[in-house]
Amino acid sequence: MSTGYILANDAFRDWLNILRNEFTVIGPVLKKRGPIVFEEIQDAGDLHLDYCSTMLGPRKFIYPPTQRLFRIDNQNHRVTTIEPADAGNAVIFAVRPCDMQAISVLDRTFLGDIEDFYYRKLREETLTVVLNCNRACDAGFCESMGAGPFLRLEDGYDLEMTSMGENYLIEIGSRRGEGLIEKAVHRKEAASGDYETKDDLQRKAIASFTKHLETAGLPELLMRNLDHPVYRETAEARCLGCTNCTMVCPTCYCYDIEDDMSFDLTVTERRRHWDSCQELHFARVHGGNFRSSREARLRQFVTHKLATWVEQYGCFGCVGCGRCMTWCPTGIDLTEMAKRIQQDFETGRARWWAYS
Amino acid sequence: MNPLEPRRALVREKIQENRETYSLTLSLADHDHFSYRPGQFNMLGLPGMGEAPFSFSSLHLERGRFTHTIREAGSLTRSICQLAAGDILSIRGPYGNEWPLEKAKGRHLIIVGGGIGIAPLRPVIRHALGNGEEYGRLYFLLGARTEDDLLFREEFEKLTAGRDGTLLMTVDRGEKKELSHIREGLVTALLDEIDVDPEESITFTCGPELMMRFVARQLIQMGQDPYDIFVSMERRMKCGIAHCGHCQIGAMYVCKDGPIFPYGDIKRFADTML
Repeated sequence: MSTGYILANDAFRDWLNILRNEFTVIGPVLKKRGPIVFEEIQDAGDLHLDYCSTMLGPRKFIYPPTQRLFRIDNQNHRVTTIEPADAGNAVIFAVRPCDMQAISVLDRTFLGDIEDFYYRKLREETLTVVLNCNRACDAGFCESMGAGPFLRLEDGYDLEMTSMGENYLIEIGSRRGEGLIEKAVHRKEAASGDYETKDDLQRKAIASFTKHLETAGLPELLMRNLDHPVYRETAEARCLGCTNCTMVCPTCYCYDIEDDMSFDLTVTERRRHWDSCQELHFARVHGGNFRSSREARLRQFVTHKLATWVEQYGCFGCVGCGRCMTWCPTGIDLTEMAKRIQQDFETGRARWWAYS
Repeated sequence: MNPLEPRRALVREKIQENRETYSLTLSLADHDHFSYRPGQFNMLGLPGMGEAPFSFSSLHLERGRFTHTIREAGSLTRSICQLAAGDILSIRGPYGNEWPLEKAKGRHLIIVGGGIGIAPLRPVIRHALGNGEEYGRLYFLLGARTEDDLLFREEFEKLTAGRDGTLLMTVDRGEKKELSHIREGLVTALLDEIDVDPEESITFTCGPELMMRFVARQLIQMGQDPYDIFVSMERRMKCGIAHCGHCQIGAMYVCKDGPIFPYGDIKRFADTML
């Protein structure tokens, strides 16, 4: 068993304020009109730990929506890399297990065979402290996707926290995480009873889910039913093509690159920003567009998250956070689409043979 | 190392192939190391215009030089085609996989190209003609809209003259009736003239996806294994390194897993015309 510590709630606040001297401490903050947003905290009291989900996950600190890449001299084409804005050794607190899983999913894209320079830097400079979920959130189905409600990862995070009423159990995920917890003044080592309490809480959290998705055989089923009418029907009746689903999805990695030239035409700044497969331009080439219909674009989203991702990266591209359906203006729910195909298969109306 | 950071290339030579297509011979400006295999591509770019993928139309490096054959289609390609010898452009690559020439050894080779898709096939045509003893019969079936669009026509005619390779060409609209060896019609009609067993052949094809669809389907009907037909795919690309997501066809990244795929492997996904 990994070494764990117990921090009373007061000691936890003291610890945060100590960390603030050395790190940029980021966490969920309750904003005026109600939303909870990940941002830098000015005081430990700003941290709002009793939250379900944010619109944007902590992905935005490691893979920002817009990033400056290069400065290019237009005359001689000399290129200067623009270092990612210094994360200044940030610590992100209260990362939900689904969001932590999502970052590890992003790692497979950006830290695979070829490493993204900018992602690598921000990922390395940012420490992550996971906060386990003691109850399921309304739209969440992370349990089905193997991403929650308690942390399922073996590594890739720094600390794991469990809220146990009067205090927190804090377990070490990395050497750097160990360095963080060593700065807590009033910590005491966790006893076996604390881990039993954690197990209890985890059991209760798992039992609290109302939303489930059966994932066994799902990738194969979806790939064999690419022409299932659910995509066309949902796309035509409800999809507005707004791209909210892909902007809030914590595993979406697609980007576009844009050049911006100075007014005197001497310098070009090359930037990238999040792009979306739900945009019409996404698959456009000269002379045509390979996903010109909303049906095709919606199917791309669903089948990528729940099927082709597995072939590409050995894991689902969905962590079950429920953001896509929460922030969809018409409430399109990808689990409902998957379930419809599963039901049609049960009743013999969907295929289990190769698509052609 | 920043994989998105482009290097600089120098335009060494520019040849106009037809009214809208140019071949640019390039070399790296800073004497950097460079090597590539036929079928791969580079991301070429200009500041302010961005980058796009272009496959090699030359067989191998000659004095550090390589060639891309580019058709003016949008603002970037038009700007690249306006460059002159001595000008600089940015380059990243090479990326992607190569034509599976090893797999073709000892078998008949059928090469089917359409329009600008003839350019990425030029290196394998040249390789096959230079190493004829490694293959069975060679078929080069090329199609284009007009005779002017038949890229490298004179070069191929010269290279195949008096050799084993069979060069057959077709255009949508014929202009000069006396050119009897250039037919009018679709490139698929040329497949009927193949008199080798498709089961003992390998096919490389590049061109519009609809063309490749009909080429592949006809060859399969003639008995060829869908995994012996190799198609070179084109998709929107921003990064070339399987990060930006644009070029995905199902589970495949055209930039990393392709651009060359066995037809049987790529056809199983949605959103292609295959």
